[in-house]
Amino acid sequence: MGNFFNLIHNELTKIYIQKATWVMYTILAVVIIGAGIIVNTADDIKVSYGEDTWRAELQEENEQLTTEMEGEEFLESINSPLIERNNYYLENDIQPAGYGAWNFVMENSMLLSLVSLFTIIVAAGIVANEFRWGTIKLLLIRPISRTRILASKYISVLLFALFTLLFVLIWSWIIGAIFFGIEGWNPYTVLNKSSGVEYVSIISEIISDYGYQLVNLIMMATFAFMVSSVFRNSALAVGTSIFLMMAGKSIVAFFSDRAWAKYILFANTDLSQYTNGNEPLIEGMSLSFSITVLLVYFVLFLAASWGVFKQRDIAGH
Amino acid sequence: MAETAMELINVKKTIGSKEVIKGLSFAIHKGEVFGFIGPNGAGKTTTIRMMAGLMKLSDGDVRILEKSIKSDYKEAIREVGAIVENPEMYPFMTGLQNLSHYARMIPGITKERIQEVISVVGLEKAMKEKVGKYSLGMRQRLGIAQALLHNPSVLILDEPTNGLDPAGIREIRMYIRKLATEKNVAVIISSHLLSEIELMCDRIGVIKNGELVTVQQVNERAGQKNLKQVQMEVSPVNQAIKLLKTHYHIDAVQTEAFLRFQSKKENIPALIQTLAANGISIYQVGAAKGSLEDKFFDLIGENTIG
Repeated sequence: MGNFFNLIHNELTKIYIQKATWVMYTILAVVIIGAGIIVNTADDIKVSYGEDTWRAELQEENEQLTTEMEGEEFLESINSPLIERNNYYLENDIQPAGYGAWNFVMENSMLLSLVSLFTIIVAAGIVANEFRWGTIKLLLIRPISRTRILASKYISVLLFALFTLLFVLIWSWIIGAIFFGIEGWNPYTVLNKSSGVEYVSIISEIISDYGYQLVNLIMMATFAFMVSSVFRNSALAVGTSIFLMMAGKSIVAFFSDRAWAKYILFANTDLSQYTNGNEPLIEGMSLSFSITVLLVYFVLFLAASWGVFKQRDIAGH
Repeated sequence: MAETAMELINVKKTIGSKEVIKGLSFAIHKGEVFGFIGPNGAGKTTTIRMMAGLMKLSDGDVRILEKSIKSDYKEAIREVGAIVENPEMYPFMTGLQNLSHYARMIPGITKERIQEVISVVGLEKAMKEKVGKYSLGMRQRLGIAQALLHNPSVLILDEPTNGLDPAGIREIRMYIRKLATEKNVAVIISSHLLSEIELMCDRIGVIKNGELVTVQQVNERAGQKNLKQVQMEVSPVNQAIKLLKTHYHIDAVQTEAFLRFQSKKENIPALIQTLAANGISIYQVGAAKGSLEDKFFDLIGENTIG
């Protein structure tokens, strides 16, 4: 087993020693700082509400939002949810917490698509690059089964995704804390959900937001990993994975009237379709159905990578 | 006879519908340097890849210290160190990082062992440099270093002196000989440079079209030392061949305006006198090139070596 940790150590070393990886982290860091600056300069962010004056403040906000809406019609879709939220606070007599680091972390969950992109790039290269560099020969003449080598590579991809995710969470929190301060350790907020306005814990919201997106991330990374080890071509792996990641929803929409549409991977990657009273994408789908479909795809991707990698003759370029 | 380190038993490889390796069988002994030569496309690299576990055998078996590469892969491959074709390393890592990377893949390789192989190949100064900046010769040395890390019983080197300067070639040659004699390692070397192989190897296997043509003991030459390869430019050539045949029972071969044949050194003056006395014009007489090259050309036909 110690040997297997050494293999993962090797793979992670190879990922993190490359400049490209540090470029990815720099991009994430800069994007998060940028988001902080943008949110900070937006004037509708209120860092805190007064203990006694918050009701008046909210009412004032609502009035302002209403007048804005009268002037510009397109603002209605943006402002009315905000008014609803303010009304919820007023009706339930909850003093709203100000915007803080946790809110910022929650809003940055969309950055997971960037994490997905970087994970796909790493997954696409981890096998294909060994072939491109020619180092696959020296890697496979060791007394280690190919299955273990491939497994160490796959696990390293997942670890890379995990580390990058943690980086986004922690860095967002730090930047959020610097710009907006920390509003307690378990803050609550009111959110507009499809089932109506709800009062929720931000931390549990962060966990579910990020968690649901992780499903898609892992599936696409596994897909890229498969293309990488089957075709030994990282560009192809990056290209197809990113294309599918972007076009996945449209593919499902395009075929939505077919009976087999619900078996398309992308109809199932968004598990949040089963929460909060959302309607599933296609009638007749359920959470357990989606999980089964995801598992089948997952196993297929890994089996294809393994089957090809295990049997391949390492010949010239 | 010495102990067998590696044995090929009727090894076959079929790629597509083409049989590339048609049943190779030979054994390499401990402490022996075995040269593996053949023209391009003869199946040298394919054979080496099968020996190193990079390609599956279609039939037959490779046994390393009696462990089958098919059924006992890990135990068999543990005894093998190899460079296959160019010694490609991770260009973005330093020499030391590359070696540590491979060291982590086999249990029991200490930091001291890494330093030891570094000094063996003389790369101490370049260890902190990125491999991307290495010259081909330096990469070749690093390749040998990674092959030696785990003290293998069998060392497989594909074109080991490729890209080395003459001093480097000499060093590597001495080191390979030393490994074989002192550490009892079986070394398999493939090369196009016949003279190289001749200097380094104890035995030579010649492969052509996926078949082993012959295995020659290099020091067999010692027994034939008084026989010289002679090359003469004469005219008319046909008549000279006849004269040699009738007077000395020598079968001479004609290549363009030249005659080639084997003869004892002390017979050569008499032979020349006979030819001259019979009206043959002799333009030049000389010793033909190394016997191995001749043997090689004889075996595989000329102009097929790449």
